[in-house]
Amino acid sequence: MLDFQRGSREAFEELFARYREPLHGFFRRRLPTVERAEDLTQETFLAVIRATARYQPRSLVRTYLYGIAFKLLAVERRQQARSAPLAQTAHEPASDTALWVRQAIEKLDPTEREILMLREYEQLSYSEIADLLRIPLNTVRTKLFRSRMALKGLLDPASDLKAESEA
Amino acid sequence: MLTHTHPIDPEELMAYLDGELSVDRAATAAAHLENCRECQELAADLQGVSRRMTAWQVDPCAPSAPPSVPERRASRWRWQWGLAGAGVAALSAFVMIGLLRPPVKYQRTTRDFVKTRPVAAEMPPPRMIAHTAQLTLSTTEFDKTRPALDDILKRHQGYFGELNINAPAGIGRTLEATLRVPADHRDAAIAEVKRLGHVESESQTGEEVTAEYVDREARLNNARNTEKRLTELLRDRTGKLSDVLAVQLEIGHVRESIERMQAEQKSLLKRVDFATLNVKILEDYKDRLQVMPDTILGRFRNSAIAGYRGMLEGIVTVISFLLSTGPSLLFWSVIIFIIIKFTWKIFRRFKS
Repeated sequence: MLDFQRGSREAFEELFARYREPLHGFFRRRLPTVERAEDLTQETFLAVIRATARYQPRSLVRTYLYGIAFKLLAVERRQQARSAPLAQTAHEPASDTALWVRQAIEKLDPTEREILMLREYEQLSYSEIADLLRIPLNTVRTKLFRSRMALKGLLDPASDLKAESEA
Repeated sequence: MLTHTHPIDPEELMAYLDGELSVDRAATAAAHLENCRECQELAADLQGVSRRMTAWQVDPCAPSAPPSVPERRASRWRWQWGLAGAGVAALSAFVMIGLLRPPVKYQRTTRDFVKTRPVAAEMPPPRMIAHTAQLTLSTTEFDKTRPALDDILKRHQGYFGELNINAPAGIGRTLEATLRVPADHRDAAIAEVKRLGHVESESQTGEEVTAEYVDREARLNNARNTEKRLTELLRDRTGKLSDVLAVQLEIGHVRESIERMQAEQKSLLKRVDFATLNVKILEDYKDRLQVMPDTILGRFRNSAIAGYRGMLEGIVTVISFLLSTGPSLLFWSVIIFIIIKFTWKIFRRFKS
C-alpha cells in the first residue's frame, strides 16, 4: 500500500490481485446480486485510489480495505432499504447445504452475524473485527461465542430432520 | 457455565481454538483440553460450526481489470473533474484493446489465471508450486515466542493453521505451530521465525501441482457441462416418474462431485497461495540440582528410616510367602509322608 502511495502501479495491481477475491466474497455473501457485489468490489478499489494521499498505515491493509468495503456496504443497504426492499429476497442458486447454512446465519442477531461472518469468511482477527466495528475486543469475543452457539442450535435440529428425511 | 470447575471459560477455549489467546493462557487451555471431556465436546462443537459454515461458498468473481490508476496524481482538481472521464476513457480503452489485440500472454499470478479461466485454458498455465518448510529451533526465551509468532503472522498477513503448546513437568516446554503465510512473504517470514532461537534443523520442499490443477479443472468443466445437459433434459422432456427421478438422482451425484472438486481446487489454490511453515520451538531447559542432606545427622536419620523400612519389608515378604505357599506345602508334605510310611510298611513286611 505504501508502494502504491509512492506511485507504483504494480503495487496497486498486486493489491488488486490479492484482495479482489476476498472482497468479492465479502460483498457476495451480504448482497442479493452478483452484479452489485462486483460493482462494489470495484468501487472499493476506486475508493482506495481516491484516498491514497490520505492513507496512513495505522492498521493492516486488509483491515483498511474491509473498512472501506464496510462503509460502501452500509450505503448500499440504506439505498436498497429505500428503493427496493424486495430485492433482498433474490438469491443465487446454491446447494441445499449452502442454502441451509445461509438461512441459519440470516436468523442470527445482525451484529453477532456480522462478527461471525467476518471471523469465519473474512478470517479477520478479533482485534481487526473490533477495529472495524468499533466495539471493544471483549465484546467481539462474547458475541462471537454467542453467535457460534446460536448457529449450532439452528443447524443441529435441521441436520437431524435432514438425516431422517434422507434415511 | 464452566468457570467454577474448569481453569478456562468457554470463551477462552474458543479464543484458544482461534489462536487468539495469550501464551500463558494458551498453555493452560492446551493442558486442560487434553484431559477434559466436557471441553473437548465444546471444542468439537465450535469446530463443527466453523466446518459447516464452509458449505456456503461463493463463486469466484468474473475476470476484470483493476480500476485505472492515473499516472500522475498532481492536483486535486484533476481528481475531482477527471475521475468520471478517466473511468469512461479506461472503459473505452479496455474495449478497444479487447477488440484489437489478440489474447495477451499470461503474466500475472496464479489466482488471476483462475479468474480468467476461459482464456487461460487455451494457454499453458503458470507453474503452481505448493511450498512447505520445516523449522526446529531451540530458545531460552520461550515465553516470548508465541507473541513473536503472532507479530510475524500479523506483519505478513498470515494465520495459524495449528498451534500446540506443551508444558510437561521436569522437561522443557515445546511449541508446535503450523503457520500459513502468503507465498510471496515466505522467505521473509522464515527469516523472521529463524531469529526466534537457535536453528536446530531446517528443510524446505516445493511440490509442483500444476498438472493436478489443470486435470481437475478439466474434469470440473466436464461435470458442469453434464449437469447443465441433465438440467435441460429435466426441464424440456416429459416422461415417466421413474425416469424423472433417475435424472434427478444423477444431477445430485454430478452436483456432489462438482462441489467436491471445487473444494479440492480451493484447497489446492490455498496451498499454492499460502506457504506452510511447520515450526517447532524447544525450550532450553535447565534442570534444578537435587539438594542432598547436608548434615551427618540427617544422613543417619535417613539410613535408620531406610533400615527400619527394609526390616518391615522383609517381615511382610516372609509372612506373605508363608501365607501364600504354606497351605500347599502342608498338603503335599502330608501326602508324601503317607506314601513314604505306606511304602516303608510294605518293605518291612516283605523283609520279615
